[in-house]
Amino acid sequence: MTALGLAKNAAESAPGSADSDADEGRLRRIVDVFRIAALAYAVGLYVPAQDSYVHRWGAWAVLAVLAAWTALLSVRPGRGPRVMLIDLALAAGSVLATRWLDDPARIQDGAQTLPVIWPAAAVLGWAVWRGWRGGLLAALVVSAADLVEVGRFAAWTANSTGNNIVLLILAGLIVGYAAEILRAGRTQMAAAVAQQAATAERERLARDIHDSVLQVLGFVHRDGTERGGAAAELARLAGEQEVRLRALISNGPATPTVGGTADLRAALSQQAGVRVTISCPARPVLLPAQQVSALAAATTAALDNVAQHAGEQAQAWVLLEDEVDRVTVTVRDDGPGFEPGRLEAAQAAGRLGVSSSIRGRIAEIGGTVEFVCMPGEGTEVEMRVPRAG
Amino acid sequence: MVVDDHPIWAEAVARDLTGAGFSVVATAADGAEALRRLPAVRPDVVVLDLHLPILDGVAVTREVVSTLTGTRVLVLSSSGEQDDVLEAVKAGATGYLVKSASTAELIDAVRRTAAGEAVFTAGLAGLVLGEYRRIAGVQPEPGVPVGPALTDRETEILRLVAKGLSSRQIAERLVISYRTVQNHVQNTLIKLQLHNRVELTRYAIEQGLDSDV
Repeated sequence: MTALGLAKNAAESAPGSADSDADEGRLRRIVDVFRIAALAYAVGLYVPAQDSYVHRWGAWAVLAVLAAWTALLSVRPGRGPRVMLIDLALAAGSVLATRWLDDPARIQDGAQTLPVIWPAAAVLGWAVWRGWRGGLLAALVVSAADLVEVGRFAAWTANSTGNNIVLLILAGLIVGYAAEILRAGRTQMAAAVAQQAATAERERLARDIHDSVLQVLGFVHRDGTERGGAAAELARLAGEQEVRLRALISNGPATPTVGGTADLRAALSQQAGVRVTISCPARPVLLPAQQVSALAAATTAALDNVAQHAGEQAQAWVLLEDEVDRVTVTVRDDGPGFEPGRLEAAQAAGRLGVSSSIRGRIAEIGGTVEFVCMPGEGTEVEMRVPRAG
Repeated sequence: MVVDDHPIWAEAVARDLTGAGFSVVATAADGAEALRRLPAVRPDVVVLDLHLPILDGVAVTREVVSTLTGTRVLVLSSSGEQDDVLEAVKAGATGYLVKSASTAELIDAVRRTAAGEAVFTAGLAGLVLGEYRRIAGVQPEPGVPVGPALTDRETEILRLVAKGLSSRQIAERLVISYRTVQNHVQNTLIKLQLHNRVELTRYAIEQGLDSDV
């Protein structure tokens, strides 16, 4: 029961320390305290019973070894594999030694083993060290030693050995599981803190860039365009970089967030350019990450198509609309457009190209695509995707 | 009046406007300075950057719209912060232009703002459309007035603006007059600004701020 109480204790002491190493150290110290108490308990039970033992001084010697080990672990914080193996070997060994040291008749009657609950400390130590698997393994090893010590099957049920084994295994599992949860929580927390720091840093950079580089690029773009000639070419490049940089610092990369959703607005904003205007709502448009990547890829394909077919000078607009039941992305250009029916004709002739790549991507995520063209007013590709739920 | 915290920009904009025959009556480098100088000069148009030290562009817009009748606000921003632009428009700005716009576009925008027209770029139309959709998606609560909604025609026109069509192209496509297109666009703004004012008042009453006024 002591072991179970301890497991609860360990789980409660979890939150609030600096990092996972410190947490593990704290759990270990609890186990150390338990080990000392268990040793005192074992000695306390042995002293009145020592006359019944067959090898009285042998038992004292075993207890002395356990005491030395307990003391050593209390002052030495390191827990390498070797230390853990010795700890478990001593736990199992001291249980097994009881069979040789104590009176067989007493053992038959269900007397306590010499170390009593001291081996549970090894089980808890393993649980803290290697999670529930470690706890279970150590519990099984100590239990096996218990069974060998008692000897006959009939005796397992006659005394409390069976109950003790169940409790030991439970303690190993629960403490191990709690330690794992603690460790996972710490890892997640560390990741969250790191991300927060990165976001704060990005925001600081964004402010700086906005106040310096963007202003200058914007000015070069504007002034150079007015001057024309070679300056106009420089202005065009500056303008292009200005738009890119602004999209980058205002939205950041379109990384999938928790729960597999991503921001379509951020993904589309990356595609803004001197000839591409993105019109979107003031808030992020969250969709399943798969839909976001499909819509972003289809938009890129449509914009590439504009650059290829509508001419270098063609402007393009991307409109993102977020409605209750659906999300619509429209890509329009001001190129010459194409004659009605030409797209269908191209499709029929097997020259699928852009339309099939766009249709395919959108169909995959359950959406529909409509191509509209107005002669002289360019081409419009409208992609609609229903919102799930 | 030109308000921008970057001297290089403020100067360039003022130079261009002067060159086009406008008189730039004042420039200011931050929001507080702008508000100090505004009552004295009472300009027709404030060309306003949103990203300002001390007092930001949204606050300046709110102040200008509530205290100076006849002065219109044209937002000229490089912030890329769509939230700010939307807030400025809800506060009463009647136009929005990105800083990467050409001089010709800027001059045209100032001229139209002075004439009382809304300067609706594709980006702004996307924001306004998004805001109406957001309002439409809000679950109605008892006791809270329902937000404004767009008519079908207004939605149609806003979508066309957001897709980069000029008012003239829209008028042609829908077979209506240029004026009608402008009126529709302006209405979408006015409804949003009214709603914003109602919301602010409701919020003030809820917070018990009305007793001080």
